[in-house]
Amino acid sequence: MTRAAPWLAAAAAMIAVAFLLKDFGYYSDQYRKLMLWVALALGFNFLFGIAGQVAFSHFAFYGIGAYAVVILTFKAGLPLGVAVVLGLALCAVLAIAVGIAATRLEGFYLALATMAFAQLFLVVLTEGGAVTGGAGGIANYRLPALELGGRRFTLTGPYYTSLIALVLLATFFVFWRLDRSYFGRACRAIRDNPEAAAAMGVDVARTKIVVFTVTSVLAGAAGMAYAFVDNIVNPPVFGLENVFLLLFMVIIGGSGRHAGAVVGAILLYMLPYVLTPLIGHHQALVFGIVMVAAMLFRPDGLVGVYDRLRARYGRGAA
Amino acid sequence: MTSVISRRLFGACAAAAVLAAGAAAAQDTIKIGVITDKTGTAKFYAEPVTEGSMLAAKIINAAGGVLGKKIELLIEDDQNKPDVSATVARKLVDAGVVFILSNTSTTATQQQQTVSLETKTPQLTPSNSGETLTTQIDNPYFFQTGPLFSYQINTLLAYTRAKQFKRVALMTDNSELGQLVARSFKAGLEKAGVQVIVEEVVQRGATSAVPQMQKVRAANPEAIFQAGVLGPEMVLFFRAYHQLGMKTPILGSYNLSIPLYLTMAKDLMDGIVIVDAYDREKPEVKAFEEQFQKEYGRPAFNLNAYGYDGVRLIADAIKRAGSLDKEKIRAAMQATKDFPATIGAKGMKYTFPPGKRTGFDPEGVVVRLIENNAHGRVVHAGQK
Amino acid sequence: MSDILELLVSAASSGCIYGLVALSYLVMIRPTGIINFAVGEWAAVGLFAAFFLLTNRWLPLPYALALIAAVAFTGLIGWGTQRIAVRPLVEKGAPILGPILALLGMLAIFRESISLIFGPDPHNLPAPFGLRQVSLGPFAGTPRDFFIIGCTAAVFVGVWLFFERTVWGKAFEAVALNRKAAALMGINLRRVTVAAFVGGAAIAGFAGVLYSLTAPRDFLMGLPLAVQGFSALVVGGVGRVEGAILGGMILALAEQLTARYADQIGIPSGMSLGVPFLLMIVFLLARPTGLLRPKEAAA
Repeated sequence: MTRAAPWLAAAAAMIAVAFLLKDFGYYSDQYRKLMLWVALALGFNFLFGIAGQVAFSHFAFYGIGAYAVVILTFKAGLPLGVAVVLGLALCAVLAIAVGIAATRLEGFYLALATMAFAQLFLVVLTEGGAVTGGAGGIANYRLPALELGGRRFTLTGPYYTSLIALVLLATFFVFWRLDRSYFGRACRAIRDNPEAAAAMGVDVARTKIVVFTVTSVLAGAAGMAYAFVDNIVNPPVFGLENVFLLLFMVIIGGSGRHAGAVVGAILLYMLPYVLTPLIGHHQALVFGIVMVAAMLFRPDGLVGVYDRLRARYGRGAA
Repeated sequence: MTSVISRRLFGACAAAAVLAAGAAAAQDTIKIGVITDKTGTAKFYAEPVTEGSMLAAKIINAAGGVLGKKIELLIEDDQNKPDVSATVARKLVDAGVVFILSNTSTTATQQQQTVSLETKTPQLTPSNSGETLTTQIDNPYFFQTGPLFSYQINTLLAYTRAKQFKRVALMTDNSELGQLVARSFKAGLEKAGVQVIVEEVVQRGATSAVPQMQKVRAANPEAIFQAGVLGPEMVLFFRAYHQLGMKTPILGSYNLSIPLYLTMAKDLMDGIVIVDAYDREKPEVKAFEEQFQKEYGRPAFNLNAYGYDGVRLIADAIKRAGSLDKEKIRAAMQATKDFPATIGAKGMKYTFPPGKRTGFDPEGVVVRLIENNAHGRVVHAGQK
Repeated sequence: MSDILELLVSAASSGCIYGLVALSYLVMIRPTGIINFAVGEWAAVGLFAAFFLLTNRWLPLPYALALIAAVAFTGLIGWGTQRIAVRPLVEKGAPILGPILALLGMLAIFRESISLIFGPDPHNLPAPFGLRQVSLGPFAGTPRDFFIIGCTAAVFVGVWLFFERTVWGKAFEAVALNRKAAALMGINLRRVTVAAFVGGAAIAGFAGVLYSLTAPRDFLMGLPLAVQGFSALVVGGVGRVEGAILGGMILALAEQLTARYADQIGIPSGMSLGVPFLLMIVFLLARPTGLLRPKEAAA
């Protein structure tokens, strides 16, 4: 019971925010999209920061999830629940296929292969004709009404925001539990020294495939939530540019730490909105400078800065 | 964890408080939201449109404004990211705009419609020509006055009617806009009974268009319809065309009418036929160009005029609505009839026919030749 | 038949550009192990520097001089990049991923700086040759194609000679084989790193100048070029200088042959854009070390 308490409190707080913001379209929208970015950053952090895989396919899986749920529900006419399950299964199958192939690759070779996969996905989206809607994407759909105990209701406004909050928390929970398990330690061991990990009896290939699959499927789940935020899916959102942003988020926040992913995602998501009135439209320049500075002075990111401050000024001593 | 949550909660509450304070201030200007791309891939066509919008607002304000109030443009950058575009649209709505002017890319404009529909805020794109912007979702608050791709292709076909093309090539690039133009062009050609025998794509970042042009040469079409958008990739196309010594006539979409192409593809475009929606001989255009020169100290071109017309259309709708009620402004915009246009053929007027939210006159597209690295005279107007 | 010869010239000139970018990566990877994705941005620096030197209104330089100065300037930028984002990390003993990520940050800085200075429009580098097709034996292409091919050949011969025939080149190889042993033998690792980055940047800058001869380019040109160059490197292998040009040629041939002939084997022309990516994935899986292995491994 006590172990569940922080999670329940977090859920309550995040849902409370959703309802506090319900009259503010802009902030409510920001909150939703920010939570999705945080969910993606947590997954990317697990993949990159904890398991040491440099993969650029994270946004492709986000897109596969989004497109799959829309196409299966509105083009194939399946019930939403079935579409969600099938969509996640599709993500899993593709992720396992890419993951198995990826175990043969290391470091930036994996990056290139996943980058090629991401580009291939964009080509398929653009050339998909009526199925994917081509370059214009698919619009003109709404989240179908859910039936529960004979009553139909539609999740809108703060209720849908709350759903996204729950998706984020569930994502966080999965990664948090994984990280604290034998599996998480195996991932870190593989990241730091694959040979040593193998010698200690870790099944390196299987661990890598599982990490890639779990993070990709959860990215797909976030994508499904995204599909009903603006009720439109189109190719540019799932392009390569955003993956670099994700990488910057994780590193600036603190690679390998959940808190780092959260802080990095919040900071870099908000930065353009905050910076624009101050310095005009050159936020990417600031991102670059912060990234270089982070690598030079604090490779453990902002979370590392926080740890150090805490160690120096007391609370750590108690 | 909890500290992160509470921090975020605090931030959100603070933001909400600031917002409420802003909304409480008396509204003594008419706020119009402008969404443009200042940092992304659409910047080179979004920004000139926005310049025109700013000029129009300035001129209207100098003449006393609308309903006795000054127009205030709230300009937001969407980085040409569709999801960000929808977010800034919400920001503008919360800031109390009565109209959103979308000067960014077609895909981003489409995603903003989620917001205009949901918040019942009228929205206009003066420059986007996407065929399905007003049909993909049924959004009574969305209006479009850009020259639709189908008008463009039909005007080109009307111009070449005497030649009776039966087998043609279609070229484009893999940008979203290029793909959209190509799809509309293909549909228009097939509807007119013209067969597209070869359809080629030059990829972003490519270093040669020779393979694509060899295919076109081998297929030997009667004409090449050019639906591309990206500058460098289209220059590759023109260079390969010249390199391979081809003589097939080229007919381009209005994207090629951006004057930047004349310097990028210097000496390569002479004799090419393009559609445009701009006629320098029009008195309205002459007046506009004079004002623009005075304001910015450099000559105007067609893109500037799209944004200029956009703000004028909105100001006119607000004037006829007689109030700042968004629903009344929407109705007034829908009722726009015979509003004189800077864009388009001589005498063109904007009208939204009943049940339609595309206001560009289908007969308003012009065809012109490129001569001596400059936009030549208008040789044809309209679809007949 | 004449089509295929024409296509070969076009693919060779594209392959040369990819090959030069791959070479730029290789010159840095061999001694330092650092994959520098900012090479695309360096190419942009070279291009825009050349553009500025050729067209500025104060002191427009003659063509050859402008190109040389632009390449030298890019080399200088390479030194600066190395000084800021690489050396401090290497000396701190940071893992190899450190400088790679710092260089990604530099990538953003370069790109935005170019956009700030030159604006968003594509810039056309003036060229002293026309576009009419000329024939060289049975091969037909533009003078630009032959210029690109000739220059690239010269660069590759030069770099090959450097590695094979000079003491400096041997030092590079020694460091590539075993850093610690090389340091013990008295090779100055810092100097080798500096030379690798200056040389890599100069090569990338030159690739950028040649790239802009194909079409006008804007500030966003770097990333696609960096990806194509890295793909070429992966195909050819990081072990040998020849691998870079071989990889570049294979990649360009794959791209242009699919663009030309894919529909004849039933792939719609839009989808043919995906063929090179697919090839890349297959290639990575089948031959992750690239086509050419390092000499010592082959022996």
